[in-house]
Amino acid sequence: MMDLEVDENDLKAAGAELFADDGRRGIRINGWLIETRRHSILNCSTIQEWEQKLNTSHLPEMVFGENTLILRHLSSGTKIHFNAFDALCGWKQEALPPVEVPAAAKWKFRSKPSQQIILDYDYTFTTPYCGSDNIEIDKDMNEGEISKETSNILWEDCKDQIDVAALASKEPILFYDEVVLYEDELADNGVSLLTVKVRVMPSSWFLLLRFWLRVDGVLIRLRETRMHCVFGGNTNPIILRESCWRESTFQALSAQEHPFDSGAYGDPSFISQKLPIIMHTTKKFVISS
Amino acid sequence: MSSDLDRQIEQLKRCEPLKESEVKALCLKAMEILVEESNVQRVDAPVTICGDIHGQFYDMKELFKVGGDCPKTNYLFLGDFVDRGFYSVETFLLLLALKVRYPDRITLIRGNHESRQITQVYGFYDECLRKYGSVNVWRYCTDIFDYLSLSALIENKIFSVHGGLSPAISTLDQIRTIDRKQEVPHDGAMCDLLWSDPEDIVEGWGLSPRGAGFLFGGTVVTSFNHSNNIDYICRAHQLVMEGYKWMFNSQIVTVWSAPNYCYRCGNVAAILELDGNLNQKFRVFDAAPQESRGTPAKKPAPDYFL
Repeated sequence: MMDLEVDENDLKAAGAELFADDGRRGIRINGWLIETRRHSILNCSTIQEWEQKLNTSHLPEMVFGENTLILRHLSSGTKIHFNAFDALCGWKQEALPPVEVPAAAKWKFRSKPSQQIILDYDYTFTTPYCGSDNIEIDKDMNEGEISKETSNILWEDCKDQIDVAALASKEPILFYDEVVLYEDELADNGVSLLTVKVRVMPSSWFLLLRFWLRVDGVLIRLRETRMHCVFGGNTNPIILRESCWRESTFQALSAQEHPFDSGAYGDPSFISQKLPIIMHTTKKFVISS
Repeated sequence: MSSDLDRQIEQLKRCEPLKESEVKALCLKAMEILVEESNVQRVDAPVTICGDIHGQFYDMKELFKVGGDCPKTNYLFLGDFVDRGFYSVETFLLLLALKVRYPDRITLIRGNHESRQITQVYGFYDECLRKYGSVNVWRYCTDIFDYLSLSALIENKIFSVHGGLSPAISTLDQIRTIDRKQEVPHDGAMCDLLWSDPEDIVEGWGLSPRGAGFLFGGTVVTSFNHSNNIDYICRAHQLVMEGYKWMFNSQIVTVWSAPNYCYRCGNVAAILELDGNLNQKFRVFDAAPQESRGTPAKKPAPDYFL
């Protein structure tokens, strides 16, 4: 368990409160409830259920199906959350063609067994997922009955940018956690990893959802979504969401005199700047109370 | 001589690596033993079969607690001793020292991670460099990998291999003719034995969407078992949350022996105990408790990620 030393005085000054119980931990701060949950990978029978629901016969080797990050804005009923199931729905929908590994070239000349089936699902589990959300509002019905009405967040395009300078300032971190949503070793041909991490400071929360793919000798893909929300005091809080997709082949990287061996590409933060951006969007959502 | 080795075994059991010169000498002795082994090494029952370990040294100590110490218990390890975990050096050297000390009581066969290329990407190379300041120990160990046998046959009835079957192999004699003393090739029979996987959705043979790597279905296993007169295949290579998994009407079983894989999966591990009559008993076990791991869990520094 990631237990961070947090100064009680910092918590008190921010009016925040930490909590933790069985596999669940989080913080209450400024009208937000932010929590992570961490469990084991799915067992065989749950994997079968998921395969049926997702209409697939292949899931990542390690699906942390109950791991999640949830951020709730209590008074507005706004909820942003991250989970493996929704991310895999995105994978299923995008359905990219498979990426061939370098050894595939040689295999084309191998004598093949007659009656051979070539599987063609996207084994990299690439997903366009950038989080799940909903707004749950209590509607007063006739005779005092209350019913829940759920809608999705309407993200609007915007020109604002996440204030990186403010985030770089060493404001105390009151809560930090990272959870893995799914992971696959591509049968030792690289890595596919979807994680989300969050940090909560006295003035804002910030999160990074990262899909990281390395197909050894072939391809590196990094799809990141960052969200930042400054606690607004009296004004309505704004959530900024920035998605940035980067991608490069090993060939292109080595042409720019970056190393060709996979060992050099262990840490996505380190190499992200070397990868060209292929998609970038910024959206925002203003929470109305 | 054997007292020196006994001292080294005791040292390795405390998770303390050997000196570089000791590793060199140990590997030379191991080579003399392994070179004599067949590609289909004969193993007598009773025996306890273990799957992937992946450098999880303290979890392997749990395994020995559950299964009993070597040489009292006769062991067969199905490869993937190294990479991923923090203690590949200590894990492999302990197994190798036990092999040299008790050659008839422990059998080590090769996994796809026992390779120069794979260990350079997945941890063992970096670990050797970090712990010894040079790559010599990695060189000695990877040279020994080339001598590891490719499979085992228990009482002529249970075929054991790291990955699975190959379309180029229909009889055990075909495995016996492979020249194994080389780096794991990218294709061919030797590659398949260490890399292939059983797959529910194919009947016969399937090709992985990666364009390399065979998948085999139930009919392939049935005909292999039938023509070689074996009861079932025991393999490792794939993570199983429950520690072991039967497929194709009990014609093949996967055994996985790295609990809480990569220190975060929360899976249990298993070993398969076979008694003198080949009766099976799966022993399932958890990861070693944190306090027995020597080093306390580190509190992470605040991560000002951007």
